[in-house]
Amino acid sequence: MPSPKAPPAAPASEEPGAYLDMPPERRAAAKAHAALLARTAGKVALELPIGADVDDFRRVLVQGAKP
Amino acid sequence: MTDLASLSARALARQIRDRKVSSVEATKAAIERLKACHELTNCTIALEADEALAAAKAADAAIAKGTPTGPLAGVPLAHKDMFDRQGKIASWGAKIRADQPAAADATAIARLKAAGALQIATLHLAEFAYGPTGHNYVLGHARNPWDPTRITGGSSAGTGCAVAYGAIPAGFGSDTGGSLRLPAACCGVTSIKPTWGRVSRAGAMPLAPALDTVGAIASHVEDLAVMLGAIAGPDPRDPAASTLPVPDYAARLDDPVKGVKVGLDEAVSAEAAPEVQRMVDSVLGILGKLGLARATCRFPDWQTLDHLVQLVQLPDASAAHAAFLRTRPQDYGPQVRARAEIGHFIAAIDHLTALRARGRYLERTLRETFKSIDIAILPILADPLPTIAELDVSGGPKVQAAMGRVVKFTRPINYLGLPTLTLPVPRGGGLPNGIQLIGKPYAESLLFAVGQAYQREVPPEIARPLG
Repeated sequence: MPSPKAPPAAPASEEPGAYLDMPPERRAAAKAHAALLARTAGKVALELPIGADVDDFRRVLVQGAKP
Repeated sequence: MTDLASLSARALARQIRDRKVSSVEATKAAIERLKACHELTNCTIALEADEALAAAKAADAAIAKGTPTGPLAGVPLAHKDMFDRQGKIASWGAKIRADQPAAADATAIARLKAAGALQIATLHLAEFAYGPTGHNYVLGHARNPWDPTRITGGSSAGTGCAVAYGAIPAGFGSDTGGSLRLPAACCGVTSIKPTWGRVSRAGAMPLAPALDTVGAIASHVEDLAVMLGAIAGPDPRDPAASTLPVPDYAARLDDPVKGVKVGLDEAVSAEAAPEVQRMVDSVLGILGKLGLARATCRFPDWQTLDHLVQLVQLPDASAAHAAFLRTRPQDYGPQVRARAEIGHFIAAIDHLTALRARGRYLERTLRETFKSIDIAILPILADPLPTIAELDVSGGPKVQAAMGRVVKFTRPINYLGLPTLTLPVPRGGGLPNGIQLIGKPYAESLLFAVGQAYQREVPPEIARPLG
């Protein structure tokens, strides 16, 4: 129960990019493209160990420089 | 009289150093050629004739006095207009620009200046470097010097045109999804997209920093080697800049290439038009003649790589543009605006998955794809050179598919961060096109040696409109 002194609750969350002035068909196309890519991300995520790190890429690049 | 337009930057530097031609003469000639090129191709954003001639005079004076100079002393060049230069505001090919002049030169610009090169102009680029074809709805589209109805490739469109026309021997561009390779291929010249991190990005306009790579376009492979040697190396201004030692690329240009194994991923290449596949075969034939051994290879699933690179690029670019998309959306051209919006709809978890998987995909590529080859070869364009009208999709519903087809063979390589050399295919009197040779990380020296040998068989050409 929020205290009576608490600030008013934030407005209901807006959808991503709500501030963009996009016609509905372009917004729908953008969402569809993101959904397509998300399916690939979902498959790739299943193969990734918990320890996979964004810095792995730079490490492998340097290792790959060795003959 | 030497034909200055056909000289490499290195050869021109030698002539200037030996005082066979002055930097002022070379610069005046380059300015005139660039004006003619601009008439044909819309390649130039700003000509800086007075500043360039003053710098050329200073270069001549220094040489006359015997002052030590750099390897490109007095050589007139021009670059994609996205690099900071002290006291100037780069156009970024857009209506929206930085609101302050740059406080310092971009590292690549500063290092090239230290090598003695002059800058005569800033050159056309896709708006915010975010377009692979040379279309720009703010500046006007760039036109191909071989056939002005055809695309130039982008985003480093002006550099591709000016180099192909012989206005300048070389110039900078950048590559986030193919922006050095596409204009080089479309205009029939060479380019180097170095290993990600080999060249500092400091002072270069960011598009998607996790992928952005500064590199060069040139007529002669030897100039790519000289330029990369001048600009590569660690930089406190860019924490991603590699600290690995920079080889003397120019000294290794003539390394033997006999026995180098070049692998073609036939499944990936088969997605190109038959004419393009035949071009790749013709290049493999030439490489075979040079003693390279043909082999096959398999990249990780190409469509997966293509989706992963988009999962990195789209939100990265959208984040860079988030403020301007809110405050000045009307100042974007339709294509860039439509593309910059998409990243807002990609979930953070998907973006991070692509970033977390990147090292593993690279590791797998090195372990499997490069298991028994030294370099890989792939097309650059999926189709014969398209017309400007064919790809004039503006920001409409076809934009993703049309652009996706153009960068089909290029942007997955940005995900892997690998170095890539573009070589023009033999034209046989027709329109230009190109292939990419892909190396292991930091293997630019090998790519240059192969490219140098290739250009002994397929010499650089000066572009002029065909018949």
